[in-house]
Amino acid sequence: RVSSDGKPPKFQPPPKPVIIDRKTQKEERRFLSPEFIPPRGRTDPLKYYLERKDMIQRRKVFNIPEFYVGHVLAVTTADPYASDKSKRFVGICIQRGGKGLGATFVLRNVIEDQGVEICYELYSPRIQAIEVLKLEKRLDENLMYLRDALPEYSTFDVNMKPVPRMDHEDIPVNKLQVRMKPKPWSKRWERPKYNIKGIKFELPEHKMKAAQKWSQPWLEFDMLREYDTSKIEEKIRKELREELEK
Amino acid sequence: MMPIWTKSGEKRAVTLLKVQDCHVLRYVSKEESGGKTAKLLVGGKNVSPFSKPESAHEIFKEAGVPQKQKVTTFNVTEDAIIKPGTPLYAAHFRPGQFVDVTAKTIGKGFQGVVKRWGFKGQPASHGQTKTHRRPGAISTNKAAKVYRGKKMPGKMGNIYRTSFGLKVWRINTKHDIIYVNGSVPGHTNCLVKVRDSKLPTYKDCNKNPPFPTFFADGDEELPEDLFDKEIFQFTDSSVTFA
Repeated sequence: RVSSDGKPPKFQPPPKPVIIDRKTQKEERRFLSPEFIPPRGRTDPLKYYLERKDMIQRRKVFNIPEFYVGHVLAVTTADPYASDKSKRFVGICIQRGGKGLGATFVLRNVIEDQGVEICYELYSPRIQAIEVLKLEKRLDENLMYLRDALPEYSTFDVNMKPVPRMDHEDIPVNKLQVRMKPKPWSKRWERPKYNIKGIKFELPEHKMKAAQKWSQPWLEFDMLREYDTSKIEEKIRKELREELEK
Repeated sequence: MMPIWTKSGEKRAVTLLKVQDCHVLRYVSKEESGGKTAKLLVGGKNVSPFSKPESAHEIFKEAGVPQKQKVTTFNVTEDAIIKPGTPLYAAHFRPGQFVDVTAKTIGKGFQGVVKRWGFKGQPASHGQTKTHRRPGAISTNKAAKVYRGKKMPGKMGNIYRTSFGLKVWRINTKHDIIYVNGSVPGHTNCLVKVRDSKLPTYKDCNKNPPFPTFFADGDEELPEDLFDKEIFQFTDSSVTFA
């Protein structure tokens, strides 16, 4: 190459290699707790912004781990009437509900042949620790049918040790098909409106066909029901990342 | 509405009220109004002046303030008079104070006697002919007339109602928001009148309020969030019972 001045060209060091850490990038993009996404409505977004500030403040002080429906959790809460002033409950998370500060999750376990479900609030100051004992997603987002399933599917050892997590990649999906107690059930789980994939229905063919009478195949094409949260989620993820790094 | 937790771990529900562009519009003296105390007219949310008649523009032109959607009166003592045109902020109230909130209830339209007045109606079966939600008898034989004020079907809701003695838990000075205990009449984003409580139990409640009001250009520098003593703040660690 010919330089403009006639002098030898200045030594240009090679560009430094840019290390793209794909794993952390994937993790950053992946999980947003469902209570951060505001519901569709006519409330002022300022209200959700203020709630999110409080939620982030609580998350800075107390660690709320990433968990889905189907995980086995152990929750320690403060109790003024217990001898140790604290209570520990182990159970499988069957439902996550509520938005904002009032977000709740329901844990189910069978203790001494009695099914017990406790609904905890994620942001309640009484909760002292949440540990994830077993990580696995199930086929559905709502496991309320475990109430009508055989009790062996809801029993978890109270002194269970936390199962070590292999990869920092995907959460395994347990494709377990649960066997049910004989009918009557609390809800007619075979009907298409619940859209349950995790039950092994041992009902006769004609009953399964009769249940399809209540199917609403037009629902998935109804455009007014669509609520596209991708852009909202992006903004909230960015906000979360910035606030938690401070 | 939002949940809030106390230091002992109990949960309370709280309504958020936003103070949006409030200005004092006019001072009406005791003699002029004919009442027992002087009055101050205060205007609420800003609105475009083109939808109102010229006669309604006068008050706002005098005060030098944009057109407001709602104008209310507050009964004020002589020493608490404020100059017309001063803005009012949420910091006028302090946490721990008690407050009455007035608003128009949600309008339900023309409603029957069961929903409007809570009548029991009639049974669904056992021979009832076309009578399940009717009022039944409306007067006695001896009266020979129907009394004034008899509960009958009619338009329900869309009237002013007040909830008394609501505690103020928290104030956000940056966005002008008051966190008030419990529920408040009216739908979301409706206009609401907030006033110091008149209940006799809360007469001596408020110690050193900002008197006559909180002035933004004054010397006081308030933090962004003012909390009540009993509130659990999320900067603290989890509640434990010793």
